[in-house]
Amino acid sequence: MTRFDTVLVANRGEIALRVMRACVASGLRSVAVYSDADRDAPHVRAADAAVRIGPGAAADSYLSIPALIEAAERTRAGAVHPGYGFLSERAEFARAVVEAGLVFVGPSADVMDAMGRKDKARAIATAAGVPVVPAADAAADDLDSIGRQVGFPLLVKAASGGGGKGMRIVRSAPDLDQAVAAARREALSAFGDDTMLFERYVENGRHIEVQVLGDEHGHLVHLFERDCSVQRRHQKVIEEAPASVISPAVRDLVLSSSIALAGEVDYVGAGTVEFLVRGDEAYFLEMNTRLQVEHPVTEIVTGLDLVALQLAVAQGEPLPFGQADVCVRGHAIEARVYAEDPAHGFVPQAGVARLVHWPERARVDAALGSGQRVSTHYDPMLGKVIVSGATREAARLRLVQALDDTAIVGLTTNAGFLRQLADSDAYRDSQIDTAWLDHHPGAAAVVVPDQAWWIAACAVAAGNDSTDPLATPDGWRLAGPRARVPVSLSCIQDASTLTRVLLVDSGAGVVQDGERQISLRWTSAVGVGEVRCEVDGVAARAHVVVAGSEVAVAYQGQTHVFELPDAFAASHRLETGDGTITAPMPGTVLAVMVGTGAEVAEGETLAVVEAMKMELALKAPFAGVVTEVSAAAKVGGQVDLGAALFVVTADAVAAGQDGQLPASARVDR
Amino acid sequence: MTQQTAAAPEPVSRNASLEGLVEELRQRLATARAGGSEAARARHTDRGKLLVRDRVDRLLDPGSPFLEVAPLAAFGMYDDAVPSAGIVTGVGQVSGRPCVIVANDATVKGGTYYPMTVKKHLRAQEIARANHLPCLYLVDSGGAFLPMQDEVFPDREHFGRIFYNQATLSAAGIPQVAAVLGSCTAGGAYVPAMSDESVIVRNQGTIFLGGPPLVKAATGEVVSAEDLGGGDVHARTSGVVDHLAADDPQALAIVRSIVGTLPRPAPPSLVQHEVDEPVEDPGTLYAVVPPDTRTPYDVRDVIRRIVDGSRLHEFRALYGETLVCGFARVWGYDVGIVANNGILFSESSLKGTHFIELCNQRGIPLLFLQNITGFMVGRQYEAGGIAKDGAKLVTAVACSVVPRFTVVIGGSFGAGNYGMCGRAYDPRFLWMWPNARISVMGGEQAAAVLATVRRDGIEARGGTWSREAEDEFRRPVHEQYETQGSPYYSTARLWDDAIIDPLDTRRVLGMGLAAAAHAPVPEPHYGIFRM
Repeated sequence: MTRFDTVLVANRGEIALRVMRACVASGLRSVAVYSDADRDAPHVRAADAAVRIGPGAAADSYLSIPALIEAAERTRAGAVHPGYGFLSERAEFARAVVEAGLVFVGPSADVMDAMGRKDKARAIATAAGVPVVPAADAAADDLDSIGRQVGFPLLVKAASGGGGKGMRIVRSAPDLDQAVAAARREALSAFGDDTMLFERYVENGRHIEVQVLGDEHGHLVHLFERDCSVQRRHQKVIEEAPASVISPAVRDLVLSSSIALAGEVDYVGAGTVEFLVRGDEAYFLEMNTRLQVEHPVTEIVTGLDLVALQLAVAQGEPLPFGQADVCVRGHAIEARVYAEDPAHGFVPQAGVARLVHWPERARVDAALGSGQRVSTHYDPMLGKVIVSGATREAARLRLVQALDDTAIVGLTTNAGFLRQLADSDAYRDSQIDTAWLDHHPGAAAVVVPDQAWWIAACAVAAGNDSTDPLATPDGWRLAGPRARVPVSLSCIQDASTLTRVLLVDSGAGVVQDGERQISLRWTSAVGVGEVRCEVDGVAARAHVVVAGSEVAVAYQGQTHVFELPDAFAASHRLETGDGTITAPMPGTVLAVMVGTGAEVAEGETLAVVEAMKMELALKAPFAGVVTEVSAAAKVGGQVDLGAALFVVTADAVAAGQDGQLPASARVDR
Repeated sequence: MTQQTAAAPEPVSRNASLEGLVEELRQRLATARAGGSEAARARHTDRGKLLVRDRVDRLLDPGSPFLEVAPLAAFGMYDDAVPSAGIVTGVGQVSGRPCVIVANDATVKGGTYYPMTVKKHLRAQEIARANHLPCLYLVDSGGAFLPMQDEVFPDREHFGRIFYNQATLSAAGIPQVAAVLGSCTAGGAYVPAMSDESVIVRNQGTIFLGGPPLVKAATGEVVSAEDLGGGDVHARTSGVVDHLAADDPQALAIVRSIVGTLPRPAPPSLVQHEVDEPVEDPGTLYAVVPPDTRTPYDVRDVIRRIVDGSRLHEFRALYGETLVCGFARVWGYDVGIVANNGILFSESSLKGTHFIELCNQRGIPLLFLQNITGFMVGRQYEAGGIAKDGAKLVTAVACSVVPRFTVVIGGSFGAGNYGMCGRAYDPRFLWMWPNARISVMGGEQAAAVLATVRRDGIEARGGTWSREAEDEFRRPVHEQYETQGSPYYSTARLWDDAIIDPLDTRRVLGMGLAAAAHAPVPEPHYGIFRM
C-alpha cells in the first residue's frame, strides 16, 4: 500500500525535470507548478499535469505556500517534492504540507527547524561529537566581543541562509559593522530573517560534504563524500566525488561524523552534511536537509538514483540496501553552467538563449533549450554538465571535452570559464580550494582565440546556405579563381575593441589572416548552427549563429560575439564638415561659451543662438581648438543664416587620421 | 550521311583539346581581369582607391557568386589596350538581392567609353530590364573616348542610350543606384544624376558637366576639381548626390544599405524544385565532346551532364532526330531543351516549333544548345518546303515569351543560328564554349561559293582561272572567316555574353534562370506560321 501515487514538484528548472524523471522511474504521476514567467518552460511540458501558481516573482509563486498546497489539492497529489532552493528547507512549508494531509518528501519539519537554524545545528553537532569551527553565540549583539571571541578572518552568515546569500568575510574588526549590516539586508530580503551567525573563517579550506540517507525504520547510511571546493564567492562551481585530496583519516572522520549527526536527529530522507577541511582538521559547517544541486556526482559513483530513493523513503519503504552495499566506483565531476558574466564580476545575465547545445557525451541536467528566455526572476543556473571516468584525470578530460561541446548563444554564460578552469593545471592538480577563485580573478579573463575569428569570418563569407545559384555563397567567378571575400570583424575583449580583416574563400575553405593561410574544411553545413570544421587539419567543433550584424561563435564553451562593421558608423565624422560652425538660422546670440584658443571636446557647446522661439546650441563637431571666433559671435549679436561664427581646428592627430584611408580599405591581393 | 554533304565548319584546331581551350580562356581572362597597366593600377591604389574588381567583390554579399558579362569585351580590339572594354558588368547578390553591377575601370584609359564599352554598358542595362534587376553603377570614368566620338556619341545605341535606359528602367520600377568613386565628367555626370539614389566619396569622387580646364577656358574661372564638383559640394550644396562617404569601402557599404531598403521583389515567376546534381559527372564533359567539331557525337551526352539527375524527358524522340527536344530541370528550374544533333530538316524544324509552342504554353524557359551547320539544302529539300518549315521554327523562337538561354556548344552557322535562338532573337543570355565557331557559313564553304561565282564570271567572259589563282583567291576569304568565326572575335564584340568553361554550363544556366525568375512571363501570342 503506497502512500501516494502523484507527486507535486514544488520547483522549476532542471531540478523539477530531475524529480519528474524519478517519478516516471518510480511509476508515479508528476504535477508541475509554474509562474507566469514559466508558462512554456520545459518542466511544465514534462509533467503529467501543471498548475499555475502565480505571477513571475518567486515570492508570489514558487515561494507561496498556500498556492502550492492548493495546487497539490487541486491535482490530488499525495506528496510534495520541494527540490532544492525555494521552500526546500523551510520547515514551515513541510509543516503545511503535512497538515494538509500530504507527504513531504524530506525530513520532518522539526528536523528541518533544528538543522535549518545554524545555531541549533551547531549545538546538535557538538552534542553528537562532531567538530565545529570557533563561533560566537548567535544571540550576542556586541560586535566587538564577537570579533574577539571568534577571531579574524571571520565569517558572517545568515542563520537561515544558504547559497552564499547573506554571507560576508570580514578580515578586521573595523569592517565588521558594515559587513553585518549588508548581510542582514540581504538575508532579510532573501529569507525573511536577518539573524546572523559568526564563526571563524577557515581560509584555503576544502569544502567536503557527505551525502546521507535515512528511512523511517531506523536505517541510516552515508553515500560517501563530495568535494565542492571550487567556489567563487561561496557559490559552488565544480563539484566532484569522491574527494581526491583528503586523507583516509579525514574521510573516516567526516563520514562517521555525518552518520553521528544524522543519527542524533533520527534523520529521514536525503541530506548533506558539509565540512570545511584543512589538512587533518575537519569542521562541521551545516547540514542541508534536502537534495543538493550536486547530487548527480554521488549518483554516478554509487550507481544509485537519489531522487527515486527519496520517493521510496517518503512512501515509508525501508532502504533497499545497507552501508556495506554502498561503494564508490570511478570518479564523477559536475560543472554548473550559470547565466553570468565571469569576465565582469560574475554579474547575472538575462536574455533569450538563441541557440543552446548541450554535450551528448555527458549527463546533462538542464532545463534550457534554444529560444528560451532566461529571466532574472530565478536562480541563474542553466544546467549542469556531469561526467565520469575511471580516474579523476579521465573524468576531468571528459569534462573539458563536454564543455567544448557546450554552446549557449544569446546570453553570456560561464561555460567557457568552466572549461578554462577544468583545463587548468590548478584544477588538474586539485590545487583549487574555496578561496582560490577569489584570489585569481584573472582566471575568468576571456581571450578570443584565432579559431573563433576564422570560423566567424568563414561563416559570414558563407552567408546562408542557399539553393539559389545566384546566392550560393561560394564566391564563384566565371572561368576564374573564386573571389576571396574580405570580412571585417570586430570583437570586444578586455573592454577594448579588436578588429581584423580576413580574406575568405569559403568555396575552397581558405581564410587568410594576415600572413597566415588557414584551411577551414567544413564537415557539416557551412556557416549555420553546429559546425564541425577542420582548422589546418585539426578538427574543431563550434556553433555559429549569424544574426543581423552579429556573428556569435561558441567555441570551447565560450561564446564570442563578433560585430560586422556598421556602414554608416563613419558618416558622423563626415557630417562635421571642415570645422566651420555656422548659424543654422538667422537669430540672436544668447550665450558664448568659448573664446579663441579654447580647447573643446567633441559635442561641447560653443554658443547658443535664439531663433524662431527656439534655442539652438552650436556644438563643436570634433575635439580641437577654437581657432576663430567671428565678431558676430557675441551675446546679443544678430547673426544671419549661414554666418560663420566659429572655426574649430581638429587636434593634429585627428587631422592626420582624417586624411588617411582606414587599414580596412587596403586589400592585399 | 547528311553531315558530310552539309557545309561543314572548319575545325578550331585539330589537336586542340577542349581542356586546352579552357586553359587558354582562363589565361586570357586572367590577363583581362588585371585591368590597366601596373603603373596605372599603382597610381589608382596609391590614391586610396580600390581596384574595380575589388570594388565589385566588396559590393557583393560576402561569398556571392558573380555572373560576369562580357569579361573579354574588346579583346583583340583597340590595340588590345582596353581589357574588358574598361568596364566590369555582371549579376551578383547585394544585400540578399541579385543586382546588375556596372563598374568603370579607371586604370583602363581613365575609364573612358570606347564603342565596346558603351555596348557592354547597354547590354548590362538590357539584362537588368529583361530580368527586373536593380542596377548599381560604380562610376569612375572620364566619359566618352573623344577620338572615337563618332562611334560612341550620336547613334541610337550610343552613349545617350545609357541615360535613356536609366530613366526608363527607373520608370519601370527597376532601381538605379550610383556610387561616384572617381571622375564623373560631362555625360558621365548624368549617371549619378539620373539615379534614384547616389553616393559620393569625399576628396575622390567628382561630378561636373565641365571640368576645371573647360571652366577656365569657358569663363576664366579657376577652381579645383573638389570645389567644383566634389563630395561636399554635391552632398551639402547641390543635392546631386544623397550620401557622402569617406572612402570606397564606406561608399560600397552605403550602396549595400540602399539595396537593403529596396522593396521586396515580386514573387518569382519560375518555380524552383529541389536541386539534383547530374548523375553523369559533369567533369567528363571534356571527354565526351570531340575536339574536332566535325566529328559527330550524341548531344544527349552533353545534356545528361548539365541537367538535374541527368534526367531528360525527351519529346518525340523518334521523329526529326537531328533536333533533340525534351523537358529537364537545371538547378531545380524546369527547362525545355532544344539541342542540335545534326543539321535541320523539315521534320526537325516542325518538331522544334511544336516543342517551343509547348514551352510557351506551359511557361517553361527554353534552353538552346547550338551546334548547327544550317538547314538542309538541295532540290529535294527546297521542294519539300524546308524554307517555310525553317520559318516556322524562327517564328516560334522569335515570338517566344518564356526566358530563353542559348549556349553555342559547337558551330553556329547560317540560318541555323536564327532557328536556334541566336543573338538577334533576344535570349536572356547567350554563352559560347571555347570550341564554338560562328559565321554565316564555314570558311571553306564561303571561299568555295565566292570562287564558284568568280569562276563562273571569268569563264562566262571567255577567260580562264588557274587552280593556283583560285587558291590565291580563296586563302584570304578562308582566313577572314577563320578569324571572324572565333569565339574571341564574337565575345570581343558582345555577340555573346561570355565564353564559358563547359564545366560551368550548368552553373551559369542556373544563375541565368534564377535571374530570369525575377521578371514576369507574359501570355504567348505568335505571328503567322507559314503552313
